Amino acid sequence: MEVDSIPKTTATKGEELEHADLVIAILTELCPEEIAVVIGGLRGLSSSIRIVVALKDGTALLPQNNSANGEGGSNLAIIPWTALGLDMSGPPLPSISAGYQSIFAASLKLEAQACCVIASNLENETPHWVSRFIQPVLEPGFDLVAPHFARNKLEGLLNSAIVSPLCRSLYGSRIQNPMGPDLAISRRLFQHIVGADPNARLKNRRIHPLASLAPIAVCGNLKVCQVHLGARRYPPADWMNVSSLLVEVLGPLFLDMETNAACWQRVRRTVPVADLGEPVPPSATVGAIDVDRLLNSFQLGVRDLQEIWGMVLPPASLFELRKLARLRSEQFQMPDDLWVRLVYDFALAHHLRTINRDHLLRSMTPLYLGWVASHAREVANADAGSVEKRLGRLAIAFETGKSYLVSQWRWPDRFNP
Amino acid sequence: MWEQAKNALTQSTERFLTKFASILPGIVALIVAIVVSIVLAWILALLARRLLSSMRFDERMARWGISSATEWSPMNKPTDLVARGIAVLIVLMGVLIGVAAFDAELTTLLVRTIFGYVPNILGALLVLLVGNIIARFFSRSVLIGAVNMNFQYARLLSVGVKWLVIVLAVAMALEDLRIASGIVELAFGILFGGIVLTLAVAIGFNSKELLTKSLERDPKKDSTEAIEDPLRQL
Repeated sequence: MEVDSIPKTTATKGEELEHADLVIAILTELCPEEIAVVIGGLRGLSSSIRIVVALKDGTALLPQNNSANGEGGSNLAIIPWTALGLDMSGPPLPSISAGYQSIFAASLKLEAQACCVIASNLENETPHWVSRFIQPVLEPGFDLVAPHFARNKLEGLLNSAIVSPLCRSLYGSRIQNPMGPDLAISRRLFQHIVGADPNARLKNRRIHPLASLAPIAVCGNLKVCQVHLGARRYPPADWMNVSSLLVEVLGPLFLDMETNAACWQRVRRTVPVADLGEPVPPSATVGAIDVDRLLNSFQLGVRDLQEIWGMVLPPASLFELRKLARLRSEQFQMPDDLWVRLVYDFALAHHLRTINRDHLLRSMTPLYLGWVASHAREVANADAGSVEKRLGRLAIAFETGKSYLVSQWRWPDRFNP
Repeated sequence: MWEQAKNALTQSTERFLTKFASILPGIVALIVAIVVSIVLAWILALLARRLLSSMRFDERMARWGISSATEWSPMNKPTDLVARGIAVLIVLMGVLIGVAAFDAELTTLLVRTIFGYVPNILGALLVLLVGNIIARFFSRSVLIGAVNMNFQYARLLSVGVKWLVIVLAVAMALEDLRIASGIVELAFGILFGGIVLTLAVAIGFNSKELLTKSLERDPKKDSTEAIEDPLRQL
């Protein structure tokens, strides 16, 4: 991803953009009113900070009374996504991974002190939410700011089921959303990741621009915090097409486990990270999940994928899965320790290349759908607090099972019943 | 008369002994070649078995999905099959070298013909090996994809695709070996057509489910949402 030039026309007061303190990429589609809210919030930051904001159409989307050179005093320049080198010929929204790579390259070129990617929409946007999110990396202290969303019980389930508890047990930091997708990053951290040549370094070191951020920050003893942002608006989940999500998310996560093996094997306990801002209760809207359809997928997987799972899972787990598949819909519940073992065994198989990695991750889909069905049934009538406690218990199960992962990682030939 | 008979017998014995003496080195060379090749085959088979065992060849073969050989011969592990294959090859080469030592025109021709056929055999083996690997890969891809799409006949589809590729590979191998090409073509056409028909029937049954699912989808949902970045759902 090359950023050759940041256009002069969008620069503040007609100057060429050669330097910025903060680079922000908003990789989501916002209406002019929402943009006004974000820009208004950014003006609240110190006027001595030069800020570059990348939006879909640059200044074209700005409301008439909100120019980039407003009298607010902050040095704010607005550029289109294409100026960051993002390919806009495909889907309407750019890829988040490409967005991160571009913003790293732009931040390096502009010698920015920090950068930030906003890729999600909040349910209730307040004028200062973006500035509150960025503030911790601008003022000396934090290197990575992750979002802390008010969780709706049936949304963001891949994060709740695998990403968050796995990262917590591996790296010892209790970050709710280690893969953002919104993250604010200090110069120290993005320099640590991209070095001098962003393209070469990311390719050679197999660093995923999104999945590797939190592990690198924690393993590098950099300071991490999370900011309460309220509830997030998720795109509608397509439960019949989850496999590509698993490949996109778990692939980089499992690869990172290889890269940081020396780091996570030393971690013995988990610690909370600094929580900034006021917690916001989740909205009352609760989505619906067709549990029976998910259970059908799980049962079909147990019936037809035994041959593939047999290469990945120990006999005891296969036996448990067969027992689960025979249960009636209302009795179905996947135990935490079984789910944790399944995730760890898939991570081990990914590491050992037991089968083709794409096949491996896609074959996990029925198991994940089984977990979703079990979770949806369990929290159907639970309030937000109970859901948080339930996910807390799952995270502890991941921590408890870590010794199994470490042992099998070090001695894969050890007897595993 | 007795003298003539004695001369004839002497000449016949001389001819036999001369002939025998002329082929004796060839026989000795054949025996030596066979004995040496058996010893060499035994040593190489032993080395191959140890090397493959240290490389965990059996596990790797299972991991790569090449277990057809063991399916056909379940008593033998892939390591044993390879070791025995090497031994048989060495002994065969010893026999050919020994036969060639007679220096007879016929044996030279035989040896030349057999050695000329070796590239075809190796080519056929390579085609079978690659075909097997591709068949396994496609079969797994189809199985996982079909299960994730909730197809009830996922296994049938997967087995169909696997045999489609294997039948194609076997037909190509037999063509390479120049064995009954007319029958092979006919049999291949019948088998290939049969498998394609079976797959078409299986897809036909599944397409009903697929159609139902696509009709159940929210019509207001923009088609572009389907290709958006999966990370946005995280």
